[in-house]
Amino acid sequence: MITLEKVSKIYPPNVQGLREVNLKIDHGEFVSIVGQSGAGKTTLAKLLIAEERPSRGRIDIGGWDITRIPGRDVPFLRRQIGVVFQDFKLLPKKTVYENVAFALEVASMSGRRIHEIVPQVLKIVGLDEKAHRFPNQISGGEQQRVVIARALVHRPKILLADEPTGNLDTLNAREIIDLLLKINSFGTTIVLVTHNREVVNALRRRVITLDGGMVVSDQAEGKYLLPA
Amino acid sequence: MSFLINIWRIIVSAWKHFVRNLWLALSTVFVLVLAMLSVNVLLGVNVLLNRAAQELEGKIDVSVYFLPNTPPAVLDQAKFLMTSLSQVQSAELVGAEAVLENFKREHAAEPEVLGSLSELEQNPFGATLIIKAKNTADYPFLLQALDNPQFNFAIESKNYDDHAETIRRVREISRSVQVFGLILISVFALFSILIVYNTIRVAIYTQREEIGIMRLVGASNSFVRMPFVLEGIFLALFAIFIAGGIVFSAIVYLEPYLANFLDGADPGLLKFFMANWPRLASVECGVLAGLVALSSWAAVGKYLKK
Repeated sequence: MITLEKVSKIYPPNVQGLREVNLKIDHGEFVSIVGQSGAGKTTLAKLLIAEERPSRGRIDIGGWDITRIPGRDVPFLRRQIGVVFQDFKLLPKKTVYENVAFALEVASMSGRRIHEIVPQVLKIVGLDEKAHRFPNQISGGEQQRVVIARALVHRPKILLADEPTGNLDTLNAREIIDLLLKINSFGTTIVLVTHNREVVNALRRRVITLDGGMVVSDQAEGKYLLPA
Repeated sequence: MSFLINIWRIIVSAWKHFVRNLWLALSTVFVLVLAMLSVNVLLGVNVLLNRAAQELEGKIDVSVYFLPNTPPAVLDQAKFLMTSLSQVQSAELVGAEAVLENFKREHAAEPEVLGSLSELEQNPFGATLIIKAKNTADYPFLLQALDNPQFNFAIESKNYDDHAETIRRVREISRSVQVFGLILISVFALFSILIVYNTIRVAIYTQREEIGIMRLVGASNSFVRMPFVLEGIFLALFAIFIAGGIVFSAIVYLEPYLANFLDGADPGLLKFFMANWPRLASVECGVLAGLVALSSWAAVGKYLKK
Protein backbone atom coordinates (compact mmCIF):
# COMPACT_ATOMS: atom_id res chain seq x y z
CA MET A 1 0.00 0.00 0.00
CA ILE A 2 2.66 2.52 1.11
CA THR A 3 6.33 1.94 0.35
CA LEU A 4 9.26 4.21 1.16
CA GLU A 5 12.66 3.21 -0.21
CA LYS A 6 15.73 4.98 1.18
CA VAL A 7 13.81 8.22 1.51
CA SER A 8 15.76 11.23 2.70
CA LYS A 9 14.62 14.79 3.06
CA ILE A 10 17.08 17.63 3.47
CA TYR A 11 15.86 21.17 4.13
CA PRO A 12 18.11 24.04 3.11
CA PRO A 13 20.76 24.77 4.06
CA ASN A 14 21.51 21.32 5.45
CA VAL A 15 18.85 20.24 7.92
CA GLN A 16 18.17 16.54 7.76
CA GLY A 17 14.40 15.89 8.03
CA LEU A 18 14.56 12.17 7.18
CA ARG A 19 17.53 9.86 6.62
CA GLU A 20 17.36 6.78 4.41
CA VAL A 21 13.93 5.73 5.65
CA ASN A 22 12.68 2.33 4.46
CA LEU A 23 9.06 1.55 5.25
CA LYS A 24 6.28 -0.69 4.05
CA ILE A 25 2.69 -0.36 5.22
CA ASP A 26 0.18 -2.90 3.99
CA HIS A 27 -3.45 -2.42 3.07
CA GLY A 28 -5.74 -2.32 6.11
CA GLU A 29 -2.98 -1.77 8.67
CA PHE A 30 -3.23 0.60 11.61
CA VAL A 31 0.23 2.07 12.07
CA SER A 32 1.36 4.57 14.67
CA ILE A 33 4.38 6.67 13.81
CA VAL A 34 5.88 8.03 16.99
CA GLY A 35 8.82 10.15 17.95
CA GLN A 36 9.78 13.29 19.76
CA SER A 37 9.58 16.76 18.26
CA GLY A 38 11.96 17.05 15.32
CA ALA A 39 12.12 13.28 14.84
CA GLY A 40 10.74 13.59 11.30
CA LYS A 41 7.10 12.55 11.87
CA THR A 42 5.55 15.60 10.25
CA THR A 43 8.08 15.53 7.40
CA LEU A 44 7.01 11.95 6.72
CA ALA A 45 3.33 12.98 6.78
CA LYS A 46 4.02 15.86 4.37
CA LEU A 47 5.86 13.54 1.99
CA LEU A 48 2.90 11.15 1.94
CA ILE A 49 0.50 13.90 0.79
CA ALA A 50 3.09 15.43 -1.57
CA GLU A 51 3.23 18.68 0.35
CA GLU A 52 6.98 18.09 0.25
CA ARG A 53 9.11 16.15 -2.23
CA PRO A 54 11.87 13.79 -1.02
CA SER A 55 15.47 14.82 -1.64
CA ARG A 56 16.38 11.20 -2.32
CA GLY A 57 14.65 7.85 -2.45
CA ARG A 58 11.30 6.66 -3.74
CA ILE A 59 7.72 6.83 -2.40
CA ASP A 60 5.02 4.58 -3.76
CA ILE A 61 1.36 4.72 -2.72
CA GLY A 62 -0.97 2.00 -3.98
CA GLY A 63 1.34 1.36 -6.95
CA TRP A 64 1.60 5.06 -7.78
CA ASP A 65 5.13 6.45 -7.68
CA ILE A 66 4.64 9.88 -6.13
CA THR A 67 8.35 10.67 -5.68
CA ARG A 68 8.28 13.38 -8.36
CA ILE A 69 4.54 13.74 -8.71
CA PRO A 70 3.64 16.72 -10.97
CA GLY A 71 1.67 19.54 -9.33
CA ARG A 72 -1.39 18.89 -11.48
CA ASP A 73 -1.67 15.33 -10.11
CA VAL A 74 -1.43 16.31 -6.43
CA PRO A 75 -5.19 17.01 -6.08
CA PHE A 76 -5.94 13.46 -7.28
CA LEU A 77 -3.49 12.02 -4.75
CA ARG A 78 -5.10 14.05 -1.96
CA ARG A 79 -8.53 12.74 -2.87
CA GLN A 80 -7.17 9.24 -2.21
CA ILE A 81 -5.57 10.04 1.12
CA GLY A 82 -7.78 11.44 3.85
CA VAL A 83 -5.87 13.85 6.06
CA VAL A 84 -6.61 14.83 9.66
CA PHE A 85 -4.57 17.50 11.41
CA GLN A 86 -4.16 18.55 15.02
CA ASP A 87 -5.44 22.08 14.30
CA PHE A 88 -8.63 20.80 12.61
CA LYS A 89 -8.49 23.18 9.61
CA LEU A 90 -12.23 23.73 9.48
CA LEU A 91 -13.84 26.71 7.76
CA PRO A 92 -15.43 28.76 10.56
CA LYS A 93 -18.11 30.32 8.34
CA LYS A 94 -19.37 26.97 7.09
CA THR A 95 -21.56 24.56 9.02
CA VAL A 96 -20.51 21.01 9.86
CA TYR A 97 -22.44 19.79 6.82
CA GLU A 98 -20.93 22.45 4.53
CA ASN A 99 -17.39 21.74 5.74
CA VAL A 100 -17.76 18.09 4.81
CA ALA A 101 -19.60 18.84 1.55
CA PHE A 102 -16.83 21.27 0.59
CA ALA A 103 -14.39 18.38 0.04
CA LEU A 104 -16.79 16.88 -2.50
CA GLU A 105 -17.58 20.17 -4.18
CA VAL A 106 -13.93 20.74 -5.06
CA ALA A 107 -13.93 17.29 -6.65
CA SER A 108 -16.80 18.32 -8.98
CA MET A 109 -19.36 16.00 -7.39
CA SER A 110 -22.99 16.77 -8.14
CA GLY A 111 -25.20 18.34 -5.47
CA ARG A 112 -27.44 15.27 -5.45
CA ARG A 113 -24.53 12.91 -4.68
CA ILE A 114 -23.24 15.29 -2.02
CA HIS A 115 -26.68 15.24 -0.33
CA GLU A 116 -26.51 11.42 -0.31
CA ILE A 117 -22.94 10.98 0.92
CA VAL A 118 -22.50 13.71 3.56
CA PRO A 119 -25.31 12.57 5.93
CA GLN A 120 -23.98 8.98 5.75
CA VAL A 121 -20.47 10.05 6.71
CA LEU A 122 -21.73 12.36 9.45
CA LYS A 123 -23.65 9.39 10.84
CA ILE A 124 -20.46 7.30 10.94
CA VAL A 125 -18.69 9.98 13.01
CA GLY A 126 -21.79 10.54 15.15
CA LEU A 127 -22.50 14.11 14.10
CA ASP A 128 -25.68 13.69 12.08
CA GLU A 129 -27.59 15.58 14.77
CA LYS A 130 -25.21 18.54 14.63
CA ALA A 131 -24.92 18.90 10.87
CA HIS A 132 -26.12 22.49 10.82
CA ARG A 133 -23.99 23.82 13.65
CA PHE A 134 -20.93 25.95 13.06
CA PRO A 135 -17.48 24.80 14.27
CA ASN A 136 -17.51 27.25 17.18
CA GLN A 137 -20.79 25.72 18.38
CA ILE A 138 -19.32 22.22 18.92
CA SER A 139 -16.57 20.78 21.15
CA GLY A 140 -12.94 20.18 20.12
CA GLY A 141 -13.55 16.44 19.89
CA GLU A 142 -16.57 17.02 17.68
CA GLN A 143 -14.58 19.39 15.49
CA GLN A 144 -11.96 16.69 15.02
CA ARG A 145 -14.74 14.26 14.09
CA VAL A 146 -15.91 16.72 11.44
CA VAL A 147 -12.37 16.72 10.06
CA ILE A 148 -12.40 12.91 10.01
CA ALA A 149 -15.76 12.97 8.25
CA ARG A 150 -14.35 15.38 5.67
CA ALA A 151 -11.37 13.09 5.19
CA LEU A 152 -13.67 10.11 4.70
CA VAL A 153 -16.06 11.51 2.10
CA HIS A 154 -13.75 10.60 -0.76
CA ARG A 155 -13.73 7.00 0.59
CA PRO A 156 -9.93 7.09 0.80
CA LYS A 157 -7.88 3.92 1.05
CA ILE A 158 -5.52 5.66 3.46
CA LEU A 159 -6.32 7.98 6.35
CA LEU A 160 -3.36 10.00 7.58
CA ALA A 161 -3.91 11.49 11.02
CA ASP A 162 -1.18 13.91 12.14
CA GLU A 163 -1.47 14.43 15.92
CA PRO A 164 -5.28 14.20 15.81
CA THR A 165 -5.54 14.13 19.60
CA GLY A 166 -3.01 16.89 20.23
CA ASN A 167 -5.64 19.49 21.10
CA LEU A 168 -8.05 17.18 22.90
CA ASP A 169 -8.59 16.04 26.47
CA THR A 170 -8.24 12.37 27.37
CA LEU A 171 -11.91 11.54 26.91
CA ASN A 172 -12.19 13.20 23.50
CA ALA A 173 -8.83 11.73 22.48
CA ARG A 174 -10.14 8.26 23.35
CA GLU A 175 -13.28 8.86 21.24
CA ILE A 176 -11.21 9.93 18.24
CA ILE A 177 -8.96 6.87 18.51
CA ASP A 178 -12.04 4.64 18.77
CA LEU A 179 -13.40 6.30 15.65
CA LEU A 180 -10.13 5.68 13.80
CA LEU A 181 -10.26 2.04 14.87
CA LYS A 182 -13.83 1.80 13.58
CA ILE A 183 -12.76 3.29 10.23
CA ASN A 184 -9.83 0.87 10.14
CA SER A 185 -12.24 -2.02 10.67
CA PHE A 186 -13.94 -1.02 7.39
CA GLY A 187 -10.60 -1.70 5.63
CA THR A 188 -9.09 1.78 5.51
CA THR A 189 -5.35 1.93 6.23
CA ILE A 190 -4.68 4.28 9.12
CA VAL A 191 -1.38 6.09 9.59
CA LEU A 192 -1.43 7.79 12.98
CA VAL A 193 1.35 10.26 13.64
CA THR A 194 1.50 10.99 17.37
CA HIS A 195 3.63 11.47 20.44
CA ASN A 196 0.79 10.52 22.80
CA ARG A 197 2.19 7.64 24.86
CA GLU A 198 -1.15 6.52 26.36
CA VAL A 199 -2.85 6.38 23.00
CA VAL A 200 -0.07 4.33 21.39
CA ASN A 201 0.26 1.92 24.28
CA ALA A 202 -3.50 1.37 24.47
CA LEU A 203 -3.78 0.59 20.77
CA ARG A 204 -1.39 -2.38 20.73
CA ARG A 205 -0.93 -2.06 16.98
CA ARG A 206 2.15 -1.64 14.84
CA VAL A 207 4.41 1.19 16.06
CA ILE A 208 7.20 2.77 14.00
CA THR A 209 9.54 4.93 16.05
CA LEU A 210 11.48 7.75 14.45
CA ASP A 211 14.45 9.48 15.96
CA GLY A 212 16.71 12.01 14.28
CA GLY A 213 14.96 11.37 10.96
CA MET A 214 15.65 7.60 11.06
CA VAL A 215 13.47 4.57 11.82
CA VAL A 216 14.87 3.24 15.09
CA SER A 217 12.17 0.69 15.81
CA ASP A 218 9.32 -1.04 13.99
CA GLN A 219 7.24 -3.43 16.11
CA ALA A 220 4.07 -5.29 15.16
CA GLU A 221 2.36 -4.80 18.52
CA GLY A 222 4.58 -2.07 19.75
CA LYS A 223 4.73 0.34 22.58
CA TYR A 224 5.86 3.92 22.90
CA LEU A 225 9.56 3.35 23.64
CA LEU A 226 10.95 6.84 23.83
CA PRO A 227 11.48 8.62 27.15
CA ALA A 228 8.81 11.15 28.13
CA MET B 1 -21.95 17.79 -16.47
CA SER B 2 -19.15 18.01 -13.88
CA PHE B 3 -17.62 20.77 -16.03
CA LEU B 4 -20.82 22.81 -15.76
CA ILE B 5 -21.03 22.10 -12.02
CA ASN B 6 -17.45 23.36 -11.67
CA ILE B 7 -18.15 26.47 -13.72
CA TRP B 8 -21.20 27.25 -11.60
CA ARG B 9 -19.31 26.71 -8.32
CA ILE B 10 -16.43 28.87 -9.56
CA ILE B 11 -18.85 31.69 -10.46
CA VAL B 12 -20.59 31.45 -7.08
CA SER B 13 -17.25 31.38 -5.29
CA ALA B 14 -15.97 34.41 -7.27
CA TRP B 15 -19.12 36.34 -6.45
CA LYS B 16 -18.74 35.50 -2.75
CA HIS B 17 -15.12 36.74 -2.80
CA PHE B 18 -16.32 39.94 -4.43
CA VAL B 19 -19.07 40.55 -1.87
CA ARG B 20 -16.93 39.59 1.14
CA ASN B 21 -14.29 42.13 0.12
CA LEU B 22 -16.79 44.72 -1.03
CA TRP B 23 -14.97 47.86 0.17
CA LEU B 24 -11.69 46.72 -1.24
CA ALA B 25 -13.49 45.79 -4.45
CA LEU B 26 -15.17 49.20 -4.65
CA SER B 27 -11.90 51.06 -4.22
CA THR B 28 -10.37 48.94 -6.97
CA VAL B 29 -13.38 49.56 -9.20
CA PHE B 30 -12.91 53.30 -8.54
CA VAL B 31 -9.32 53.20 -9.81
CA LEU B 32 -10.33 51.13 -12.82
CA VAL B 33 -13.13 53.62 -13.55
CA LEU B 34 -10.55 56.44 -13.48
CA ALA B 35 -8.40 54.48 -15.92
CA MET B 36 -11.36 53.92 -18.24
CA LEU B 37 -12.42 57.58 -17.98
CA SER B 38 -8.92 58.68 -18.95
CA VAL B 39 -9.12 56.52 -22.07
CA ASN B 40 -12.55 57.81 -23.01
CA VAL B 41 -11.75 61.46 -22.25
CA LEU B 42 -8.75 61.11 -24.52
CA LEU B 43 -10.95 59.66 -27.25
CA GLY B 44 -13.47 62.49 -26.78
CA VAL B 45 -10.79 65.19 -26.90
CA ASN B 46 -9.47 63.65 -30.12
CA VAL B 47 -12.93 63.68 -31.66
CA LEU B 48 -13.38 67.32 -30.65
CA LEU B 49 -10.00 68.41 -32.00
CA ASN B 50 -10.63 66.64 -35.30
CA ARG B 51 -14.04 68.27 -35.50
CA ALA B 52 -12.51 71.71 -34.76
CA ALA B 53 -9.89 71.16 -37.47
CA GLN B 54 -12.60 70.11 -39.95
CA GLU B 55 -14.62 73.23 -39.10
CA LEU B 56 -11.61 75.42 -39.65
CA GLU B 57 -10.72 73.66 -42.89
CA GLY B 58 -14.23 74.34 -44.12
CA LYS B 59 -13.67 78.06 -43.61
CA ILE B 60 -10.49 78.38 -45.62
CA ASP B 61 -10.74 79.91 -49.10
CA VAL B 62 -8.87 82.18 -51.49
CA SER B 63 -10.66 85.32 -52.62
CA VAL B 64 -9.33 86.76 -55.87
CA TYR B 65 -10.34 90.41 -56.40
CA PHE B 66 -10.38 91.47 -60.02
CA LEU B 67 -9.98 95.01 -61.27
CA PRO B 68 -13.20 96.90 -62.02
CA ASN B 69 -14.41 96.51 -65.59
CA THR B 70 -12.51 93.27 -66.14
CA PRO B 71 -14.05 91.72 -69.25
CA PRO B 72 -16.42 88.80 -68.45
CA ALA B 73 -14.41 86.58 -70.81
CA VAL B 74 -11.33 86.95 -68.63
CA LEU B 75 -13.37 86.24 -65.51
CA ASP B 76 -14.93 83.15 -67.09
CA GLN B 77 -11.54 81.97 -68.26
CA ALA B 78 -10.12 82.33 -64.72
CA LYS B 79 -13.07 80.46 -63.22
CA PHE B 80 -12.89 77.73 -65.88
CA LEU B 81 -9.18 77.25 -65.35
CA MET B 82 -9.47 77.01 -61.60
CA THR B 83 -12.48 74.66 -61.74
CA SER B 84 -10.60 72.35 -64.04
CA LEU B 85 -7.87 71.81 -61.45
CA SER B 86 -8.27 68.54 -59.55
CA GLN B 87 -7.23 70.24 -56.28
CA VAL B 88 -10.17 72.66 -56.41
CA GLN B 89 -13.38 71.77 -54.63
CA SER B 90 -15.34 74.81 -55.77
CA ALA B 91 -14.81 78.15 -57.52
CA GLU B 92 -17.60 80.73 -57.19
CA LEU B 93 -17.61 83.89 -59.21
CA VAL B 94 -19.31 86.87 -57.51
CA GLY B 95 -20.12 89.63 -60.01
CA ALA B 96 -19.12 93.29 -59.44
CA GLU B 97 -22.72 94.30 -58.71
CA ALA B 98 -23.13 91.57 -56.10
CA VAL B 99 -19.84 92.64 -54.49
CA LEU B 100 -21.15 96.22 -54.31
CA GLU B 101 -24.42 95.05 -52.74
CA ASN B 102 -22.53 92.97 -50.20
CA PHE B 103 -20.34 95.95 -49.33
CA LYS B 104 -23.39 98.16 -48.83
CA ARG B 105 -25.05 95.57 -46.66
CA GLU B 106 -21.96 95.12 -44.49
CA HIS B 107 -21.57 98.89 -44.01
CA ALA B 108 -25.26 99.75 -43.68
CA ALA B 109 -24.61 101.27 -40.28
CA GLU B 110 -21.80 103.52 -41.52
CA PRO B 111 -23.34 106.50 -43.36
CA GLU B 112 -19.93 108.13 -44.04
CA VAL B 113 -18.74 105.08 -45.93
CA LEU B 114 -21.99 104.79 -47.89
CA GLY B 115 -21.91 108.60 -48.58
CA SER B 116 -18.39 108.36 -50.00
CA LEU B 117 -19.49 105.42 -52.14
CA SER B 118 -22.44 107.35 -53.59
CA GLU B 119 -20.12 110.16 -54.66
CA LEU B 120 -18.35 107.79 -57.01
CA GLU B 121 -19.76 107.70 -60.52
CA GLN B 122 -19.24 104.03 -61.11
CA ASN B 123 -18.93 100.75 -59.20
CA PRO B 124 -15.43 100.79 -57.66
CA PHE B 125 -15.45 97.03 -57.15
CA GLY B 126 -14.51 94.33 -59.54
CA ALA B 127 -15.72 90.74 -59.53
CA THR B 128 -14.44 88.30 -56.93
CA LEU B 129 -13.55 84.66 -57.48
CA ILE B 130 -13.84 82.56 -54.27
CA ILE B 131 -11.90 79.30 -54.50
CA LYS B 132 -12.03 76.42 -52.04
CA ALA B 133 -9.46 73.63 -52.21
CA LYS B 134 -10.16 69.99 -51.47
CA ASN B 135 -7.14 69.88 -49.19
CA THR B 136 -5.62 72.68 -47.12
CA ALA B 137 -2.17 71.65 -48.27
CA ASP B 138 -3.14 72.59 -51.86
CA TYR B 139 -3.62 76.32 -51.25
CA PRO B 140 0.00 77.26 -52.01
CA PHE B 141 -0.35 75.48 -55.36
CA LEU B 142 -3.63 77.29 -56.13
CA LEU B 143 -2.08 80.64 -55.32
CA GLN B 144 0.68 79.80 -57.81
CA ALA B 145 -1.85 78.70 -60.40
CA LEU B 146 -3.54 82.10 -60.15
CA ASP B 147 -0.33 83.69 -61.38
CA ASN B 148 -1.40 82.83 -64.91
CA PRO B 149 -0.52 85.35 -67.69
CA GLN B 150 -3.97 84.82 -69.23
CA PHE B 151 -5.65 86.69 -66.36
CA ASN B 152 -3.10 87.74 -63.73
CA PHE B 153 -3.01 91.24 -65.23
CA ALA B 154 -6.67 91.68 -64.21
CA ILE B 155 -6.15 90.62 -60.58
CA GLU B 156 -6.12 93.52 -58.17
CA SER B 157 -5.37 91.49 -55.06
CA LYS B 158 -5.69 88.06 -53.52
CA ASN B 159 -6.92 87.46 -50.01
CA TYR B 160 -5.92 84.09 -48.68
CA ASP B 161 -8.01 83.73 -45.56
CA ASP B 162 -5.23 81.87 -43.83
CA HIS B 163 -6.46 79.46 -41.16
CA ALA B 164 -3.62 77.15 -42.11
CA GLU B 165 -1.54 78.13 -39.10
CA THR B 166 -4.51 77.57 -36.77
CA ILE B 167 -5.22 74.21 -38.37
CA ARG B 168 -1.57 73.23 -38.06
CA ARG B 169 -1.68 74.12 -34.37
CA VAL B 170 -4.93 72.21 -33.82
CA ARG B 171 -3.39 69.17 -35.54
CA GLU B 172 -0.27 69.58 -33.43
CA ILE B 173 -2.34 69.73 -30.24
CA SER B 174 -4.25 66.66 -31.42
CA ARG B 175 -0.98 64.76 -31.92
CA SER B 176 0.33 65.95 -28.54
CA VAL B 177 -2.92 64.87 -26.91
CA GLN B 178 -2.53 61.45 -28.51
CA VAL B 179 1.05 61.06 -27.26
CA PHE B 180 0.21 62.43 -23.83
CA GLY B 181 -2.92 60.28 -23.76
CA LEU B 182 -0.98 57.13 -24.61
CA ILE B 183 1.43 57.87 -21.76
CA LEU B 184 -1.52 58.56 -19.45
CA ILE B 185 -3.26 55.34 -20.51
CA SER B 186 -0.05 53.34 -20.00
CA VAL B 187 0.40 54.81 -16.53
CA PHE B 188 -3.23 54.08 -15.64
CA ALA B 189 -2.94 50.57 -17.09
CA LEU B 190 0.14 49.94 -14.96
CA PHE B 191 -1.58 51.34 -11.86
CA SER B 192 -4.67 49.27 -12.61
CA ILE B 193 -2.64 46.09 -12.92
CA LEU B 194 -0.76 46.78 -9.68
CA ILE B 195 -3.91 47.74 -7.80
CA VAL B 196 -5.87 44.72 -9.03
CA TYR B 197 -2.87 42.53 -8.24
CA ASN B 198 -2.85 43.97 -4.74
CA THR B 199 -6.63 43.62 -4.34
CA ILE B 200 -6.48 39.98 -5.30
CA ARG B 201 -3.49 39.43 -3.01
CA VAL B 202 -5.45 40.90 -0.12
CA ALA B 203 -8.50 38.83 -1.08
CA ILE B 204 -6.28 35.75 -1.16
CA TYR B 205 -4.71 36.68 2.16
CA THR B 206 -8.11 36.92 3.81
CA GLN B 207 -8.97 33.53 2.35
CA ARG B 208 -5.59 31.82 2.69
CA GLU B 209 -7.03 29.38 5.21
CA GLU B 210 -9.80 28.40 2.83
CA ILE B 211 -7.28 28.02 -0.01
CA GLY B 212 -5.09 25.81 2.19
CA ILE B 213 -8.08 23.62 3.04
CA MET B 214 -9.16 23.50 -0.59
CA ARG B 215 -5.69 22.27 -1.51
CA LEU B 216 -5.73 19.80 1.36
CA VAL B 217 -8.99 18.19 0.32
CA GLY B 218 -7.90 17.87 -3.30
CA ALA B 219 -9.05 20.98 -5.14
CA SER B 220 -7.34 21.37 -8.49
CA ASN B 221 -5.23 24.46 -9.21
CA SER B 222 -7.81 25.83 -11.61
CA PHE B 223 -10.61 25.34 -9.06
CA VAL B 224 -8.62 27.44 -6.58
CA ARG B 225 -7.40 29.98 -9.11
CA MET B 226 -10.41 30.62 -11.31
CA PRO B 227 -12.65 32.30 -8.67
CA PHE B 228 -9.93 34.92 -8.12
CA VAL B 229 -9.44 35.45 -11.85
CA LEU B 230 -13.20 35.73 -12.25
CA GLU B 231 -13.36 38.16 -9.33
CA GLY B 232 -10.87 40.34 -11.23
CA ILE B 233 -13.11 40.16 -14.30
CA PHE B 234 -16.12 41.16 -12.16
CA LEU B 235 -14.14 44.22 -11.04
CA ALA B 236 -13.36 45.07 -14.67
CA LEU B 237 -16.98 44.66 -15.78
CA PHE B 238 -18.25 46.88 -12.97
CA ALA B 239 -15.66 49.50 -13.86
CA ILE B 240 -16.63 49.41 -17.56
CA PHE B 241 -20.31 49.69 -16.70
CA ILE B 242 -19.81 52.66 -14.37
CA ALA B 243 -17.33 54.40 -16.69
CA GLY B 244 -19.75 53.92 -19.61
CA GLY B 245 -22.56 55.53 -17.62
CA ILE B 246 -20.39 58.49 -16.61
CA VAL B 247 -19.09 59.02 -20.16
CA PHE B 248 -22.58 58.89 -21.68
CA SER B 249 -24.07 61.27 -19.08
CA ALA B 250 -21.15 63.68 -19.41
CA ILE B 251 -21.46 63.80 -23.20
CA VAL B 252 -25.21 64.43 -23.10
CA TYR B 253 -24.68 67.18 -20.53
CA LEU B 254 -21.62 68.83 -22.08
CA GLU B 255 -22.34 68.65 -25.80
CA PRO B 256 -24.53 71.81 -25.96
CA TYR B 257 -21.76 73.78 -24.20
CA LEU B 258 -19.09 72.33 -26.47
CA ALA B 259 -21.13 73.38 -29.52
CA ASN B 260 -20.55 77.03 -28.51
CA PHE B 261 -16.82 76.55 -29.00
CA LEU B 262 -17.44 75.35 -32.54
CA ASP B 263 -19.65 78.28 -33.60
CA GLY B 264 -22.76 76.21 -32.99
CA ALA B 265 -21.56 73.27 -35.08
CA ASP B 266 -22.30 69.77 -33.79
CA PRO B 267 -19.24 68.59 -31.77
CA GLY B 268 -20.06 65.04 -32.92
CA LEU B 269 -19.16 63.42 -29.60
CA LEU B 270 -22.50 61.74 -29.03
CA LYS B 271 -22.61 60.62 -32.66
CA PHE B 272 -19.10 59.21 -32.39
CA PHE B 273 -19.78 57.28 -29.18
CA MET B 274 -23.20 56.07 -30.32
CA ALA B 275 -21.78 54.87 -33.63
CA ASN B 276 -18.75 53.21 -32.08
CA TRP B 277 -19.92 52.03 -28.67
CA PRO B 278 -20.10 48.29 -29.47
CA ARG B 279 -16.52 48.36 -30.78
CA LEU B 280 -15.27 50.63 -28.00
CA ALA B 281 -17.02 48.65 -25.28
CA SER B 282 -15.75 45.31 -26.55
CA VAL B 283 -12.16 46.53 -27.04
CA GLU B 284 -12.01 48.37 -23.70
CA CYS B 285 -13.76 45.54 -21.90
CA GLY B 286 -11.53 42.92 -23.54
CA VAL B 287 -8.29 44.75 -22.80
CA LEU B 288 -9.23 45.65 -19.22
CA ALA B 289 -10.64 42.22 -18.39
CA GLY B 290 -7.57 40.61 -19.98
CA LEU B 291 -5.14 42.74 -17.97
CA VAL B 292 -7.08 42.23 -14.78
CA ALA B 293 -7.42 38.48 -15.30
CA LEU B 294 -3.69 38.23 -15.99
CA SER B 295 -2.94 40.22 -12.85
CA SER B 296 -5.23 38.00 -10.75
CA TRP B 297 -3.71 34.88 -12.31
CA ALA B 298 -0.24 36.02 -11.28
CA ALA B 299 -1.40 37.06 -7.79
CA VAL B 300 -2.84 33.66 -6.92
CA GLY B 301 0.07 31.72 -8.45
CA LYS B 302 2.21 31.96 -5.32
CA TYR B 303 -0.37 30.05 -3.30
CA LEU B 304 -0.53 27.16 -5.73
CA LYS B 305 3.08 26.10 -5.60
CA LYS B 306 2.74 23.69 -2.69
